[in-house]
Amino acid sequence: MKHLKLFTSSLIALALASSSASFAESFAITNATVHTVTEQGVLENATVVVENGKVVAINPATITADTIIDAEGKILTPGFIGAMNQLGLVEVGAVSRSRDASDKKADITFDASLAFNPRSTVIPYSRKGGITSNVVAPRGGEDMFKGQTFVADLSGEFDSVRVSNHNVVIDLGAQSKGSRALGLQNLQAKLEDATKALAKAKKQSKAAKDKKEPKEPSRDELVINALLSGEKALVAYADRASDLLTLLKLKAEFSLDLVLVGAADAVLVADNIAQAKVPVVMAALDNLPGSFDSLHSSLENAAKLTQAGVMVALAVNGDTHNLYQLRFHAGNAIANGLSREAALASVTANVAEAFNLDSGKIAVGKTADLVLWSADPFELSTQVSQLWISGKAYSTDSRQDALRDRYTTKSDMPRAYIK
Amino acid sequence: MKKFLPSLVVAAVSVALTGCLQSEQQDEKVRINKNPYPSTYQALPLQTTLIKNATVLTGTGTRMDNADVLMVDGKINKIGNNLSADGAVEIDAKGKWITPGIIDVHSHLGVYPSPSVESHSDGNEMSSPNTSEVWAEHSVWPQDPGFEAARAGGITTLQILPGSANLFGGRGVTLRNVPSHTMQGMKFPDAPYGLKMACGENPKRVYGSRKVLPSTRMGNMAGYRMAWADATEYKRAWEKYDADYAAGKNPSAPERDIELDTLKGVLDGEILIHNHCYKAEEMAMMIDLGKEFNYNSGTFHHAIEAYKIADTLAENGNCAAMWPDWWGFKMEAYDMVHENVAIVDAVKNSCAVVHSDSADTIQRLNQEAGKVMYRANDNGFDITPELAITWITANAAKSLGLAEKTGSLESGKNADVVIWNQNPFSVYAQAEQVFVDGAKVYDRFDEKYQAKSDFLLGQR
Repeated sequence: MKHLKLFTSSLIALALASSSASFAESFAITNATVHTVTEQGVLENATVVVENGKVVAINPATITADTIIDAEGKILTPGFIGAMNQLGLVEVGAVSRSRDASDKKADITFDASLAFNPRSTVIPYSRKGGITSNVVAPRGGEDMFKGQTFVADLSGEFDSVRVSNHNVVIDLGAQSKGSRALGLQNLQAKLEDATKALAKAKKQSKAAKDKKEPKEPSRDELVINALLSGEKALVAYADRASDLLTLLKLKAEFSLDLVLVGAADAVLVADNIAQAKVPVVMAALDNLPGSFDSLHSSLENAAKLTQAGVMVALAVNGDTHNLYQLRFHAGNAIANGLSREAALASVTANVAEAFNLDSGKIAVGKTADLVLWSADPFELSTQVSQLWISGKAYSTDSRQDALRDRYTTKSDMPRAYIK
Repeated sequence: MKKFLPSLVVAAVSVALTGCLQSEQQDEKVRINKNPYPSTYQALPLQTTLIKNATVLTGTGTRMDNADVLMVDGKINKIGNNLSADGAVEIDAKGKWITPGIIDVHSHLGVYPSPSVESHSDGNEMSSPNTSEVWAEHSVWPQDPGFEAARAGGITTLQILPGSANLFGGRGVTLRNVPSHTMQGMKFPDAPYGLKMACGENPKRVYGSRKVLPSTRMGNMAGYRMAWADATEYKRAWEKYDADYAAGKNPSAPERDIELDTLKGVLDGEILIHNHCYKAEEMAMMIDLGKEFNYNSGTFHHAIEAYKIADTLAENGNCAAMWPDWWGFKMEAYDMVHENVAIVDAVKNSCAVVHSDSADTIQRLNQEAGKVMYRANDNGFDITPELAITWITANAAKSLGLAEKTGSLESGKNADVVIWNQNPFSVYAQAEQVFVDGAKVYDRFDEKYQAKSDFLLGQR
């Protein structure tokens, strides 16, 4: 007969959460093993001071803070950053009215952040994975441009969208109906046409004789122009090596800020990708040849690409409800050859750098998205001890805990009365 | 009435005649071949092997430290300390862990293989809600690269099931995880057949869109009940035929029905039910359905809400095969809890199993079970590795009707063994060597024991 010790662990977790400092107050985490994911590396027995949602000091000579939290040697990392999923846009996949990531009419301007639901139950659940912010990707419609990414933190607050209309998502590669060549051709044409239009507009504005106002670019032209200026990154799904090379060529020709997503056969052209300094966002655990475009999928690819000099960011493929697994993906990548340092970067600083986010590191001036872990963040047995988003502490309790507690509590009454 | 008189006379005469003779002239007895696609599986080359000095999780709830495992003639011969065996190949497993071969009761490898292309979609015969006549083994593509990937994760036995589009999806097949170019070459000899059933959203969505039964959950239930009613009549007809024939009569055999053959097999207790079913109230109804038609409601798969009826499951002897944490893709998967498997397991006489239903997570069933153990222990449970391993070995074998043959390291059982580089419940754990029936089928460090599918051969 197994004894169930009811509630105790969850109560401790809750206590920790409620002792959090509010935004304006300052707090210091002391005696932590701080993984900065910067040149500073790992700092032992270190102190991190947070004020107004930012890290204001690391190992200051004197600690001035409203609250001191003794980390007792535990590991402190930047909050993990999810990417290329639909967090906050889909509550239950099979419920059509709870899905807002796609629309037949979506095009390059599609701003799904307007549909972001901070109250989604997936958000607190994903905090259990140490995830503090997330790059949400729209699924778009029939157009090859799926819309624009946005960044939301996992606070579950109503103002948690940090950046909207951020980067442009495009889906290239194998087509069920028709040829992938057309998509690549159209992309080339759009970039060429926009380049020409910009040059023409520049010439026109210089020729002051003609007082006619240059035509205003349309909304989608504005987005293309932002790609050409490097203001927005082109976040491209593609798997086959030849498709990846085509994208690298386009990057070079149009000076694009390119991010490759999926990139299942990237190992075949790792050197090219590394030379072009293009980041790869990939799923560490995709190792089966799902198609003719991904015959070289392997658990070792994250390590191989990193060793070839590619900056790798890890993302969980498939259903967003499994975003929580991200840290286990990183752990498996380590088991298959990725260094611990690179693994941590692949879920923090590399994601930030790939998507132009100002987070993913523990450094003075950075947003205080921090996670204190009970042990090795990637190990199955570890849990989040405490988590801060913009310097505010959040619990990792979720609906799942409420259900478990309801069904493991002894009661004479029907379970519905246990709240 | 007059019309019948002559036949009655004829009947009366023949009855009188049979009354006189010992037996009448009997046609050859009609027998249904229950094993028409027999296994041709042979163990790979094997030798007596002694694995020494490891931490052994036996699958019986026991952990032994610094223990040896001796495999002779494809069977577990002995587990103990300081064993020796003449002529044995010795493997120094100091610092390593040994478990029984891992068993996945829910896989679609081979029927939904990689690459995932139109012509490989062979898991759901979505042409009718009751396709008890189809057998998953007839869809299995043994060249699916997923089998080798699973082997590298320690999988030695797996059940390939039809999908869950139908009320009755068809027979499943249990395979030994060995490379083969025929399905029969992988088939687990004498393993019981399974019959896949599905509750809930999938069948009613598939057939509801075609405006035929089932379109609702009540339609689902009616579909099952009508099928079992037909099967009961079919069974009765065959039993009558057998009894009449045994009594010396010359009855006409019932008309052969390939679909009802499978359902009758369940009613006869020969075929085991594997029921995709998520919700507590639906599992409770499926249990009653089994009682209504006198068959064992078997193993519930996915069973997201098993924790809500853990007592009922144990009382009725149902196994539940679950995930550690998949959820949210359907309403019926919304109420997931991380401790599901543990809550089910905590009840006496329970049968908690961890399954994959995925070509990806089958490669890490050890980690899937590990996640449950740690989350449960964070929340008041006290589960040890020697208990957690049973969820993917002994309990899984029980669910497949193979508990006598495999699933634990006990003398006389199949030598299905995995040597892990460390505690298998770590994210860093890897299977180093995998044995099926005492023969090495996978070796992480020896290419000779790394199989490559025909499909991947010669790819650039």
